[in-house]
Amino acid sequence: MTFIVTKIFHFLPLIFGIAFLGPLLAQVIQAAGWVPPLGVSPLILGICLGSLLGLAAQVRGRWI
Amino acid sequence: MNASAANTATQAELMKRERAIARKYSGMVPWGAVAWGLGNLAIWLSLWPLVFLDIIPLWLGFLIACANVALCYLPSHEAQHDIIGRKGSKWRWLNELVGHLSTIPLVLPYRVAKLTHIQHHLHANDPELDPDYSTAASGPWQAIWKSIQNRQPGAKGGTNAYVAVLRRMGREDALVDAMIYQAVFIGTLIALAWSGHAIEAALIWWLPRHIGATYIQFYLSWAPHHPGREQGRYKDTRAFRSVLGNIGSMGMQYHIVHHLHPYIPLSKTPAAFREMRPILEARGCTLDGI
Repeated sequence: MTFIVTKIFHFLPLIFGIAFLGPLLAQVIQAAGWVPPLGVSPLILGICLGSLLGLAAQVRGRWI
Repeated sequence: MNASAANTATQAELMKRERAIARKYSGMVPWGAVAWGLGNLAIWLSLWPLVFLDIIPLWLGFLIACANVALCYLPSHEAQHDIIGRKGSKWRWLNELVGHLSTIPLVLPYRVAKLTHIQHHLHANDPELDPDYSTAASGPWQAIWKSIQNRQPGAKGGTNAYVAVLRRMGREDALVDAMIYQAVFIGTLIALAWSGHAIEAALIWWLPRHIGATYIQFYLSWAPHHPGREQGRYKDTRAFRSVLGNIGSMGMQYHIVHHLHPYIPLSKTPAAFREMRPILEARGCTLDGI
C-alpha cells in the first residue's frame, strides 16, 4: 500500500498534467472558440499538451 | 517606560517590563480571528455554488478566492499558538476547530502547520533547522520568485522542506495528513475537470492557492525575517513598513512582537509594539522606521 501511494505521489506531475491540465486546456480551447486543426478534438489536443507539460515537469522537477 | 529609561535599564528590568506589556495584551479569546477563520472558509465554500449557478461571474469568484486563500492562514496561526484556547481550557475545541478548518483552501494540514511552525520559532533564520528559511531572498521580487520555485515538484524548500523537518522530528504521522490533503485536493481538481468544470476548478482553487501561498510566504515569512542573516531573540525578526500598510501586510509589520511573545493575539500586536518600542530600541532590534 505504501509502495503504491509513494509511486502515485512520485508521478504526481505527470498525473496532474494528463488528468487536470489536459481537460483544462481542452475547455480553454473550447471557451476561446478555437478549432484544432486536422479534426483533432479539443480534449485530445488538451491531453496531448497536458501530457507533454506533465512529462517535462516530471523529468525536470519543475513546471517553470 | 520611555526611551531614556529603557536605555539605562538593566537587562533584567527590560525583560520584566517587556513581559508585563506582553501579559497586558494577551489572555483574551481573539473572537475576530475565530470569525475571520470560519467566515473566510464559509465564503470560499460558497463560491462554488455561486459560480456554478451563475449567481456571480467566474472572474469575481476568482478574485474572492485569491483573497480567501491569502487570508486563510492567520486564523490557523492563532490556533497553532493556542491563542484561541489553551489545552484544558473551555475554548480548546474552538482552537482546534479553527486550526483545522481555516487552512483548507490552502491545502495545509493543521498538524503539519503547527509542528513546523513551532520549529520555525525555535530556529528562526537557522539555514539548517528553520523550516521556512528557504523563503529567504535578496529582495521582494526575488522573494516572490523563490516562493514559486519552492513549490516546484523537485524543490527542496517551501512545504517540501516540511517533509524533511517532520522526518527529523520523528513525526511521519503528520505526513499522512499532508498526503490525504494532497490526494483530496488533486482528486477534486481532476473530478471537476472531467465533469466539465476545469476552468472553475483552476480559478477557484488551483490558481488562487498559488497566488495566496505566494502572498502568505512573502508577508508572513520573507518580509519579517529579511535579510535572514541573524539569529537570536532580538535579531531574527524585524519590524518593517509595508507599502500596503499593516492590514495589507496582514499585520506583519509588527511580527517582531509575535516572535518575542507568540501568545499575543495578532490584533493586539500593534498596540503591544508601540508600548514595547523603547525596549526594542534598547535591545537593538531592527524597526525600519515604523
